[in-house]
Amino acid sequence: MAWFVFILVAALTIGGGLGVVLSRNVVHAALALLVSLIAVAGVYLVLFAEFLALVQVLIYGGAIIIVLLFAVMLTRSSDYPRISDNKQWPLAAVAALALLGVLVPAFVINNVAGTQAQNASFTGIGESLFTTWAVPFEIASLVLLVALIGAIIIARSGPGEN
Amino acid sequence: MVDLVWFQLLSAALFVIGLYGVMARRSAVLIVMSIELMLNAVNINLIAAASHMEGTGSFANFDGQLIAIFIITVAAAEVGLALAIILRMFRNRSTVNVDEIDLMKW
Amino acid sequence: MQWAWLIPVFCFAAAPVIVIFGKFLPTKGAFLSILAIAGGFVVFWFVFGSWLDADAATKGCFTSANTGMLSCDYERSWFNAGVIGAVGSVSLHWGILIDPLTIAMLGLVTFVALMVQIYSMAYMMGDPRFGWYFAVHSLFAASMLTLVLADNFLLLYVAWELVGICSYLLIGFWHERPAAREAAKKAFIVTRIGDVGLLVGILLIWRDVGSFSMLDAFEAVRTGAMSEGVATASAILLFLGAMGKSAQVPFHVWLPDAMEGPTPVSALIHAATMVIAGVYLVARAFPLFEAYDAVPLLIVAIVGLTTALMAATIALVSTDLKRILAYSTISHLGLMMLSLGAFGYTAAIFHLMAHGFSKALLFLGAGSVLHSTEFQETGEMGGLRKVMPLTAIVFSIGALSLGGIPVLAGFWSKDEILVAVNDNRNAAFIILTLFTALLSALYMGRAMFLVFFGELKDQNSHVHDAPLAMAIPMALLGVLALGFGFITFNWPGSFNGLGDFVFFGHAEEFHFEVWLGAVSIVLAVAAFMFAYLAYAKRSISMEATRSRFSGVLKVIENKYYFDEVYQWVVDKVVLVFSRAVAFFDRAIVNDIIVNGPADITRKFGIALRLHVTGHVYTYTLAMALGTVGLGIFVWVRSV
Repeated sequence: MAWFVFILVAALTIGGGLGVVLSRNVVHAALALLVSLIAVAGVYLVLFAEFLALVQVLIYGGAIIIVLLFAVMLTRSSDYPRISDNKQWPLAAVAALALLGVLVPAFVINNVAGTQAQNASFTGIGESLFTTWAVPFEIASLVLLVALIGAIIIARSGPGEN
Repeated sequence: MVDLVWFQLLSAALFVIGLYGVMARRSAVLIVMSIELMLNAVNINLIAAASHMEGTGSFANFDGQLIAIFIITVAAAEVGLALAIILRMFRNRSTVNVDEIDLMKW
Repeated sequence: MQWAWLIPVFCFAAAPVIVIFGKFLPTKGAFLSILAIAGGFVVFWFVFGSWLDADAATKGCFTSANTGMLSCDYERSWFNAGVIGAVGSVSLHWGILIDPLTIAMLGLVTFVALMVQIYSMAYMMGDPRFGWYFAVHSLFAASMLTLVLADNFLLLYVAWELVGICSYLLIGFWHERPAAREAAKKAFIVTRIGDVGLLVGILLIWRDVGSFSMLDAFEAVRTGAMSEGVATASAILLFLGAMGKSAQVPFHVWLPDAMEGPTPVSALIHAATMVIAGVYLVARAFPLFEAYDAVPLLIVAIVGLTTALMAATIALVSTDLKRILAYSTISHLGLMMLSLGAFGYTAAIFHLMAHGFSKALLFLGAGSVLHSTEFQETGEMGGLRKVMPLTAIVFSIGALSLGGIPVLAGFWSKDEILVAVNDNRNAAFIILTLFTALLSALYMGRAMFLVFFGELKDQNSHVHDAPLAMAIPMALLGVLALGFGFITFNWPGSFNGLGDFVFFGHAEEFHFEVWLGAVSIVLAVAAFMFAYLAYAKRSISMEATRSRFSGVLKVIENKYYFDEVYQWVVDKVVLVFSRAVAFFDRAIVNDIIVNGPADITRKFGIALRLHVTGHVYTYTLAMALGTVGLGIFVWVRSV
């Protein structure tokens, strides 16, 4: 059963990812990204990380995809339909495959077999987040605030612009 | 049960796909999407490892999940900023194609 | 006597003050310059007096083993290079050496410079650079005084070059005139060629003796610590410097051109500074010259005689008044060198002083003439004694003195030289010297009669005599030119004669060779008589002689083609060589060695900068490839 679910979500993840990088239409790419991200939430479920799956669906599937669609919408110009890859795409493919060739053997050779995925309780995560990880948590909130202000300042019209 | 290595391979595949996207796409929006794929690949790797490990010492076995939460937070901030930069770029240059933006060349 | 260094310091101090504050001072600061040199003249008398009182027991004084004269040396450390006493370290001193030679020169320089400066007050009146003229004059006098006071070769060399630059500035004083500029450059460059010899000679002595001190060098020569080769070579090199400064053949070409400067400057250069520095140097370094077989002295004698003869012949045919005087100076400098070369140390210094007073007088007289008539050609003058009697009298005194008419100063000094040459050199020398003396009287008589006798031209009828400020110095110098010769005599009870004061090795009594004296008097008088008949009465026509010797005359009138030869050498040798060097510099040094590396760097830069595409994806690709490489590296290492 676990295998069946894993193969399903893994296929959806990879397929969605390929859709993002190969699609010639930017809206299609965004939708493929949505598929991929939801599938990743499925992967988390297979790993018994329900909280993360929840967060993934909420933040990625909700907020981030919406923001990206806004970006597409606000910058839509006539050249979107014929967007394609740049001139160096074959080189990029070779480099990416080379990295895959490095990573796969690394994981396979250092394989730790026979371990079991375990459940992590909501309570434990909450406790840990507000005790051991309290300071990084607060810093993260600060990072979000700074990013918010920065985004507003960057995107705002300057005095000389319409 | 599914072994750790399969999750790792999935993560590697997703990462490489994202990397290809960053290197090969012309549109800045698509590059940001590809970066999201790479971040997710990292998250899968972290959570898979966390779920398969016993907690030792002061580290609980869900510390990996917490780091993933932070990554998601930072990713959210990054997307917001990226949107702002893309909008500004579009307003100034009327394009979001990165190969038309080479002011810093020789 | 320790305070003798004050003499040049007054003038050194006056020069910058005049340059900086001159325009705010009355007379543009000229009075400062005169006060400074007058102060130097006063201090000179104190130094002279204290030297007369001194003996070997006085602080700093001793009887020189080389010259036999009472000398006083006061030196101070100048600066040290390296650890004192260690091998390779150099300790330099500066100091003053006072012996009769120095005192004689100090007296001559301070007096003549004072006279010339007073004269210049009137002569240069109204010149736009009046203050600058006096500032340089001060510096000139100060340099010359330092030169004669210096007790080591290094200080002497510094003063030597200062004298050179001051003469450059004064010769080119009217630098609006191209001829003045060219003359100044010529003087500077020609003397500089000799100066190289001087410098090399000084360094040669320093290398051998390990000290710049003259006394150390002379001591080394006397004891034989300095080998014959070094002594001879250094003496010849020093003489090379002296030849440049004293305008000896073949370096004499600059002096006639130096007439482009103001006439008082010529008076100063010819009488008290610059050209006599060379004679002084040979006299000062005499122990080096006469060491071993005294080979350098023979060279000095030959060069001196050649110069004296050649310049005298040119002076005879020259028509420019100042140029006649210039060639006369060269001729007499040659006589001084000849005297030194014939061991006539006293005679040379005596003649140097007698000539200095007479020549200063002649130039001041000539200046007075030029100032009034504004002509330089003798053909435009004539009969001037009617309108400027004082100038005529003093000029005649100077001319007769240099021409060797008894009892004027020049007669006695020339006679001393003749005696010295007769005693120490062979017959050819004495005959040629007598011939030079004859020529000397002839051209002096010619200049005098052409300018002041004969018919007064209408264009000169407005001419007036010299103003008071010019007349007084001329009168004083005239008295000296008349009576200076008598110091050569033994005045019982008070003074034993110049030979007892300035001498080398042993005191010299005044001696008079009757036949030599008779011959020289006859020659001089005959020459003046002839000149009177030929140039004043015009009862003897020179045309026949002129046409008979037209070939010789042409050579002489062209100054033996020295300038032409130099011009040819510069054009055909120096410039061609320079062009080759310049080509080497431009093609090899500049284009290949200097620009080459820069070019290569630039081309590499042009090629290498292409990797900066400005595209984000290029950088990402590089990053990815780097990551792959890093992964492979870690993997390979772990295996």
